[in-house]
Amino acid sequence: MKLHQKGFLLGQLSQGGSMWDHELVAMALSEYSLSGAHWVSTLRVALEELAAAGLVTRVAGKIDDGSHAGKGKVLFHYKLSEFGQSRLHDTGLLQEGK
Amino acid sequence: MSILPDNASGDLALALHQHYARNQRWGFIWAMWLAVLWGAWYVPGTALWYEHPYADIPADATTLRLAATAVMTWVHAIAVFLFLLLWNMVLGKVSDYGRTIVKFRQISKWYALASLCGGPLAIFGSCLAMFYAGPIFAAISSLLFPVVGAVIAKLWYNEKISSRAALGMAIIIGGGITIYAPGLFGEASSSHPHAWIGYLGGAMSAIGWGSEGAVAARGMDVSDPDVGIQCRFTFEVLFWGCLILPFIALFTTIPVGQLIYETLTNGKAILWILLAAVTHAFCYTSWYKATSLIGVSRCGGIGNLYAVFAILFISAFTLQIPEWYFLAGLSLTIAGSFVMFSEPAESVSQLREVTKAKAAV
Repeated sequence: MKLHQKGFLLGQLSQGGSMWDHELVAMALSEYSLSGAHWVSTLRVALEELAAAGLVTRVAGKIDDGSHAGKGKVLFHYKLSEFGQSRLHDTGLLQEGK
Repeated sequence: MSILPDNASGDLALALHQHYARNQRWGFIWAMWLAVLWGAWYVPGTALWYEHPYADIPADATTLRLAATAVMTWVHAIAVFLFLLLWNMVLGKVSDYGRTIVKFRQISKWYALASLCGGPLAIFGSCLAMFYAGPIFAAISSLLFPVVGAVIAKLWYNEKISSRAALGMAIIIGGGITIYAPGLFGEASSSHPHAWIGYLGGAMSAIGWGSEGAVAARGMDVSDPDVGIQCRFTFEVLFWGCLILPFIALFTTIPVGQLIYETLTNGKAILWILLAAVTHAFCYTSWYKATSLIGVSRCGGIGNLYAVFAILFISAFTLQIPEWYFLAGLSLTIAGSFVMFSEPAESVSQLREVTKAKAAV
């Protein structure tokens, strides 16, 4: 069975070090065979929630030129925090994500 | 590219501020929906007690009323579950619900615990408070739930609570108490035998709802709020339907089966339950969404505005004008909301002190 979506996003960050949100979103869309603005927005909100909870940190940002989330929106470069790492471990996602 | 958050400048700094302001605004909008829908819930929630079979239960038949509460809560929880299922079907999150709930040991156990806190503990406690200490006392004790939630969130995973958020929460609680406290004096003058059971129930409701917010936030660390709330109601349906009601039916003489049958076959009772359930389903959805965006403490503080909306909705339906002190309480709660919302937008960009929180389970 596939991981749930937030677990997948955390797992990718655990494996890949740090990534831009549009890269993570593209991977999730491919993993779950999804497409469309609704899902892009849903996955971006999931990343926002992970950042607000402190599981991932925003290490860089840039303004979208319109090729990813929408012209003028902020794109973030995320990395898993130590707290996120410990949450992954607590919830057994670290082994499954790998 | 600029490194965040401190040295962003120019257009990026402005875009970042707008981004966090949008998150903050959405968090408070969801929290406001929580308050509006919670307040609205009291209309069908109260009306249900005027329908057969509940209207036929004598006021002094406490045990039977508690069992009836358990029955109506179970039927209500099933209806809430169905509305949430519909919601997640529309959002396309049913698959994610399946992937989340099966991970009981890792994730969904937190929603099971949240449902115990918010279901049997808080609802049963609130009923005890109503029966043994009076409805006004029950309302006031529930107003303290954000304090419990904020303290647990602070101690458990170091949620950042700014002095402005704490001040706003205190003002809103003060406003709620201003609305209900004058009625409490009237209640206190009447004799309530075994009032201590009511006080214990009041504490249970504040602890139950307060801890539910904090425990659910722990589950939402690694899962989606829309999915989380459906997990929470799945467990509530199971707790009442597979444990509590069978226990009451097996070990007491209370006619649980008859109560269920008469509820399900009374069209008016079902109508009120459905109205209460649709309100409750989206009240809880708003609560969990707001919590993930602005944190347990801010969400609880704004959520406490339910005290105002409950009075407004009940007044609208019963055509009874609230007492003068309602306006004083209303002013305080509005002022408290503005104090909370006046925090810098960046304060919601990260809700926890993660260096300390990483040690917390």
